[in-house]
Amino acid sequence: MKSTFVSTAAVSQALRYSLLRMQSDLTKAAKEATTGRVSDLGLALGARTGYSVSLSRDLDRLKGIVDTNELASSRLSTTQDALTQITTATKNFMSTLITGSSGGTTAAVVLADAESTLKSFNSVLNTSFNGEYLFAGINTDVEPINDFMDPSSPNRVAFDTAFSTYFGFPSSDPQAANITAAQMDGFLTTVVEPQFLGAGWQGTWSNATDEGITSRISLNETAETSVSANEQGLRKLAMAAATVYVAYSSNMSDAARQSVVSHAVSMLGETIANVADLSAKTGIIENRVTNATDRIKLQVDLFQKNILDIEGVDPYEAATRVSQLQQQIETSYALTARMQQLSLVKYLT
Amino acid sequence: MSSLTTALAIAQSALRTTGKQTSIVSRNISEAQNPDYTRRIAAVSSTAPGARSISVQRAVDALLFKNNLNAQSAFQAQQTLYDGMERLGLAVNGVENVSSAATMLGKLQEALQTYSSAPSNRNLGQNAVEAARDLVRSLNDGTNAIQSFRGDMDSQIGIAVNQLNDLLGQFKDANTEIVKGTHSGSDVSDALDRRDALLKQISSLVSVSTFTRTDNDMVIMTADGATLFETVPRSVTFNPNAIYSATTSGNAVYVDGVPLAAGAGGNTNAGGKIAGLLQLRDEVGGTMQSQLDEIARGLITAFAETDPSGTLAPQAGLFTWSGGPAIPASGTLVSGLAGTISLNAAFDSAAGGDPSLLRDGGANGVAYKHNTTGAASYSDLLFSYSKNLDAPMAFDPAASNGTTLSLSSFSTNAISWFEGMRSNASTAADAKAALATQTAESLSNLTGVNVDTEMSMLLDLENAYEASARIIQTINDMLRALLDAVR
Repeated sequence: MKSTFVSTAAVSQALRYSLLRMQSDLTKAAKEATTGRVSDLGLALGARTGYSVSLSRDLDRLKGIVDTNELASSRLSTTQDALTQITTATKNFMSTLITGSSGGTTAAVVLADAESTLKSFNSVLNTSFNGEYLFAGINTDVEPINDFMDPSSPNRVAFDTAFSTYFGFPSSDPQAANITAAQMDGFLTTVVEPQFLGAGWQGTWSNATDEGITSRISLNETAETSVSANEQGLRKLAMAAATVYVAYSSNMSDAARQSVVSHAVSMLGETIANVADLSAKTGIIENRVTNATDRIKLQVDLFQKNILDIEGVDPYEAATRVSQLQQQIETSYALTARMQQLSLVKYLT
Repeated sequence: MSSLTTALAIAQSALRTTGKQTSIVSRNISEAQNPDYTRRIAAVSSTAPGARSISVQRAVDALLFKNNLNAQSAFQAQQTLYDGMERLGLAVNGVENVSSAATMLGKLQEALQTYSSAPSNRNLGQNAVEAARDLVRSLNDGTNAIQSFRGDMDSQIGIAVNQLNDLLGQFKDANTEIVKGTHSGSDVSDALDRRDALLKQISSLVSVSTFTRTDNDMVIMTADGATLFETVPRSVTFNPNAIYSATTSGNAVYVDGVPLAAGAGGNTNAGGKIAGLLQLRDEVGGTMQSQLDEIARGLITAFAETDPSGTLAPQAGLFTWSGGPAIPASGTLVSGLAGTISLNAAFDSAAGGDPSLLRDGGANGVAYKHNTTGAASYSDLLFSYSKNLDAPMAFDPAASNGTTLSLSSFSTNAISWFEGMRSNASTAADAKAALATQTAESLSNLTGVNVDTEMSMLLDLENAYEASARIIQTINDMLRALLDAVR
């Protein structure tokens, strides 16, 4: 049998290197067993580390979008509430006008209802949500609707000026009683309609922009998540309420009032249809936001699972590794001690 | 009569031989734990009848010794590379990349998303600007960390070059002694041990190959073929550079006028510590810096303010630089940009600026204003910034990190590039450490001392000595008996 020469230094150092390795493995395994993640991400993943960083980054972004979608959702549901209130006010006002025109109610009741409709129109459209005016488009730091009840307000001034210019006297003048139904018709179609439904609206009645608030509802999808006070249906409601209010607060003839009311009723009918349409659109967007949130939450789960797949270790496996390494290291200690004992010198006397 | 004298002479010679052998054995035992010691073998040869002469031989294995030298120098380079990268990665990217540009960019994107959901909220704008400030800080600090690391590597190269010159000087003394001793036929074992030990130290600094000429005269060449030692040491020169900036390129190490090649790759092809340090200083530090510079350039470009009417050229927005307000040329690396990128004071409320410019535009004058009506919930510009971060743009191939990709991916790719290299370096360091340990163990087994063998030889020698002494005593008795008879 051939025996190979072994140097004493090699014998005493034989276990040193492997012991070192085992000890460094032990610290790694212990860390992995306690944290459930790989001890050094860069070493474990190498060139895939960027992928893991990008996953965790996207995960945080997605969670951020879920939070901001909550905001958009609550804005949308507040908008829905407001639109419902508008519809209710419109319907009430309409029934008052219809019963009033058939002689069922007195002029005072019609006037009071016009006033309350204008007030609720103002208060609903000037609702603020999270420090922003809900119906202001993107100009959310300014109240979207000016108050018609305030005599110095631009919309009231514009209306009064238009009235005086057309008839030659203000609406409070006693001569108002002489306005005929035909004259009133002409005033409504040539002067009032452009003021409400055309270019006269912006700046005098409304400070809102047509453009609504755009929100990013997923990583690559945006949606308009607000309704502007400039919608035609809302303008028509304002026109109906304002004209009726002016007609019934002056001493106009019944004929002229009748002309105003019939105009107003047709406007209100269009308002109801248009607001229902807005409500439906808002519902669709609400649904889109909810769907996007659900999708993102699925993605978040998936990303979390991915990250766990990439960075996670089985803590039981790691714990087993720890105990194995402990045993090996102990064995190696015992062996080293034994080998140091092995010396011929001890047996020489 | 004459035969008795002869017997005495033989016994005396045997005693001398045994004594000499004992001295060799005891020397072997005393050097048993010295890794640079080569086991001496007493070669006994008979000359005249009964006369012995002893020559000392060393247990050498030239091939294994060379293997061990190569393994050691490869391991030294790899370990240097790995240790350096670990330090650099921590300094620039932080523990688990928390302070890396990629992570900070993600935070900025999050802040932009939050701001775009409620653009009327000035605090959210401020929050986005703070996220931008953190990103700028990460790039500035990263640049400083890389450059001070490069300076550190440079001074370590200087120290290693001095060490190398010093070792070569000592090598000359040992080599001269060996040449003279071999020529005159004296025992040069100790000098040979010393020379081998020096060669081990030299090869841990620089990868070498050697050949031996007449009279044991050794010539050392570097792995590149430059002469390191031939009768006299050749000069190794290096001009250290104390202060590094991103545009500084480090000086080369010259061996006998030939520049020493730096290593390349994660599993580096470098041998010796110096080549590893050169690789860290130039390849690793340089590439990492150019990647940060490209991230900085990408940021300035992505956040540049555009003229909504399209007539004026885009100008630096949220992020600006020394060359601002112009934006850097597309797809071209600007060295050191990551160190000079700064937060535009126009956006910074701490410097009297207005964070809502991020929503409205117009930091470069009203022509650049997108939100002309000043609407509080205008979010289009914010969306366009987030979109720019995810849109592909051109990067300089010098950053070796892809040429057409989004800034967002570029920043994570930079981490992949670094960690990929570090992971390779770690695996390779383990493999090379194992090889170096293995060859050292084999070499130790072949050339080292086994104390037990030496002890048992000592027992043999003790017996031989006793026998010779007994012979001398017997001859002495015989001679005395003869003399007594004569008296």
